Amino acid sequence: MKGISYLGTWIRDWYKIFVNELRLIFSDSGVIVIFFVGGLLYPVLYNLIYMNGTVDEMDVAVVDNSGGAFSRRFIRKVDATRECNILMFAASMEEAKEMMQKGLVHGIIYIPEDFDARLVRGEQGIISTYADMSSFLYYKCLTMGASLTMLDEMHEIQMERYLASGMDAQAAWQAVQPVLSDESMPYNKPFSYTIFFISAALLLVIQQTMFYGSSLLAGTLREQNRSFASMSKGLQGLGIGRVLLGRGTAYFSIYMVTGTLIALLIPWLFRLPQRGEWTDIMVLLVFFVIDCIFFTFTWSSLITRRETVFVLFLSISPICLFLTGFSWPQTAIPPFWQYVGYIFPSTFGCRAFINLNTAGGSLSLVAPEIKAMTIQTVIYYVLSSISIFIENKVIARKDKIESLKDKALELRGIDPEEARRLIAGD
Amino acid sequence: MKQLVKIVRRELLIILKRPVYILASVGVLIVNAVFYITFMKDGLPHDLPIGLVDEDHSSTSRTFARELDGTQLGKVVYYDDIHLAREHMETGRITSFIVIPKGFNADIQAFRQPHISYYVNSLYFVGGALAYKDILTMVNLTNGAVQRQVLRLKGMNEREIMGRIQPIVLDQHQIGNPAVNYGVYLNGVLLPGVLEMIVILITIYAVGSELKYGTSKHLLKTAGGSVEMALLGKLLPYNIIFTVLGIALELLLFHWLKYPLKGHIGWMFLDILLLVSASEALGLFIVELFPVLRLAISVGAIISVLGFSLAGFSLPVEAMPPYVQGFSAVFPLRHYYLFHVQETIWGSGFAGWWQESVHLLLFLFLPFTLIGRLGHAYKYQDYERN
Repeated sequence: MKGISYLGTWIRDWYKIFVNELRLIFSDSGVIVIFFVGGLLYPVLYNLIYMNGTVDEMDVAVVDNSGGAFSRRFIRKVDATRECNILMFAASMEEAKEMMQKGLVHGIIYIPEDFDARLVRGEQGIISTYADMSSFLYYKCLTMGASLTMLDEMHEIQMERYLASGMDAQAAWQAVQPVLSDESMPYNKPFSYTIFFISAALLLVIQQTMFYGSSLLAGTLREQNRSFASMSKGLQGLGIGRVLLGRGTAYFSIYMVTGTLIALLIPWLFRLPQRGEWTDIMVLLVFFVIDCIFFTFTWSSLITRRETVFVLFLSISPICLFLTGFSWPQTAIPPFWQYVGYIFPSTFGCRAFINLNTAGGSLSLVAPEIKAMTIQTVIYYVLSSISIFIENKVIARKDKIESLKDKALELRGIDPEEARRLIAGD
Repeated sequence: MKQLVKIVRRELLIILKRPVYILASVGVLIVNAVFYITFMKDGLPHDLPIGLVDEDHSSTSRTFARELDGTQLGKVVYYDDIHLAREHMETGRITSFIVIPKGFNADIQAFRQPHISYYVNSLYFVGGALAYKDILTMVNLTNGAVQRQVLRLKGMNEREIMGRIQPIVLDQHQIGNPAVNYGVYLNGVLLPGVLEMIVILITIYAVGSELKYGTSKHLLKTAGGSVEMALLGKLLPYNIIFTVLGIALELLLFHWLKYPLKGHIGWMFLDILLLVSASEALGLFIVELFPVLRLAISVGAIISVLGFSLAGFSLPVEAMPPYVQGFSAVFPLRHYYLFHVQETIWGSGFAGWWQESVHLLLFLFLPFTLIGRLGHAYKYQDYERN
């Protein structure tokens, strides 16, 4: 019987705390702004900014000192690539560089005087390319445009020479390309910036908005000297589990809604690839959101005032993004930072999301990430319990000191309220 | 003047009493600088894992694997079957994988043109693009090697052979970043961006805290009732901190780490000073517009995070939709970046970047438009505090 009544109390307490947390969240406009406006605004904004995602037909200047048939064909082919657009012919390198400095072109192709002569003689012709390094995408465009053209020209010239030496077309073709290759870039063929950036950023938005919003709340409570931990006073310090799970359920119920919008609706709205099963993504979301909740509870115990979470921790967001390995490859991340990455749910959550949603893997493929998030959840659950426990002790001691002070004042015949006002200088 | 000294002293006491100011400026910048510089210390990733499914097990396929492994970019990971390789590529454990089919060697010798297939996971941008480049090169080298054997048998000399198998050579140059160092490219703008974020947030926090904690009347009284004087004195200490941080950052990047700089470091100091001042003005403007700390700081947070994307150093601004392009001008970091390009890549001096410095200076007018609003809020404290 005792067990049942304990369960009853547990559930009642849990429910009270759950409802109270929801009330706190929805009565704080700052938190609402971050949870709902921030959580949904960012994905939309990023989709708008990165709408096109690729640099196509990048303007290129040509300095053609050779002016022969080979050089003209090369230039025509570069112009035909998806990456490059020949904007102008410059008379000299100086002129072309000036154009680049003004930002009118982002690449220069320089063909030396002897280019055609050398090719006619059967020697190697050399073409120089100059990329504007103010953005890596310029570099990528010029490299791709020029390299693909070079390969194409190479095959064409080789064919011409074999044919000229009396080979038949079939044999020449076999000689030019003894090995054929098929390429397959199934997930992001045009190397679109949108697909790769948004895929990584979506789940990060969940983690970061939850952390900032919940920390705002925690900071406010602590400013008013009523930390959430003190809620459990009535439970004689036994209710840590109830407090954590009750508060957690509040965030869980909110974030399963916004999370679904972020992970399923936003990609659909902006026509991003959605190759995974939606059920798989929901499962991932459950693990990720729970992980984020206890991550947030643990780290927000460092926040003592409302706004400090932004001034101190805003720059963590881009750091978390890099730790997911979305840009700089995971294998090239120094070991120390790989370990630091283990602190954040996003490191695993974002990778799992990229693999599930964009690469179209199945749930079993992301098992390692889910396992890692489960371990994180357990660790953060314990850590947040400890932090509540400690905070409770600190508050209890503070209260005790306060009441002792009041007692001392009363003994001297001073009204404690009066004294407080005097000290505050009102 | 006496009032100014008083306010500055008052502000210094606040800074000393609340460690958040030093932590959020000096501390945050140091953490970020250490992170990004050590994170990308290799400049360009190397030894990217490239999967190889060798179904042929011939000398040719082994040579291919060895040579691919020998390239600086790639490192070969062997797989027995295609499914596992595909799984590992999907989960990002390898960047890409190549399948060499059964009978590869025999087919080459008999000119039956065997197919090499390769799969690249381009979701992981840098890794995917680099691995793709590496594989493309290797496939062409293989073709070249086969042709070379044939041509040798025909009695051609090496010079003629090279003209045959590689008639066109690309000689690639990268203006401004010859080593294609990703860290140079990213950190040169990212870290000033972090500084911009710090300046905006701290300016808002410092000015807004007076409202939140109800101390603005005291501040105004110290300033003799002049809100201009109050803000001047209040922001002066931060100005010094930000300036020192900015100069230190440029010294770190261009002097200590020796990032390529065609122009003069003195002009980079000017660039970062303008960035700091413009960001401070922007922060002040935001808190004047929303004289409620928590609202102002949320707006500041959103703006400074967007600043990274809209500076246009990752995806260029001209590739963004037109209505976003115009929007990029309201971020100081955008103008810092354009100035930075002119000075570091071209060493243009005044002629190249004077427009950007004018744009950054224009930000300084912003706070004057709404200073009365803040003065009112400081005097009457009639906005909600929490």
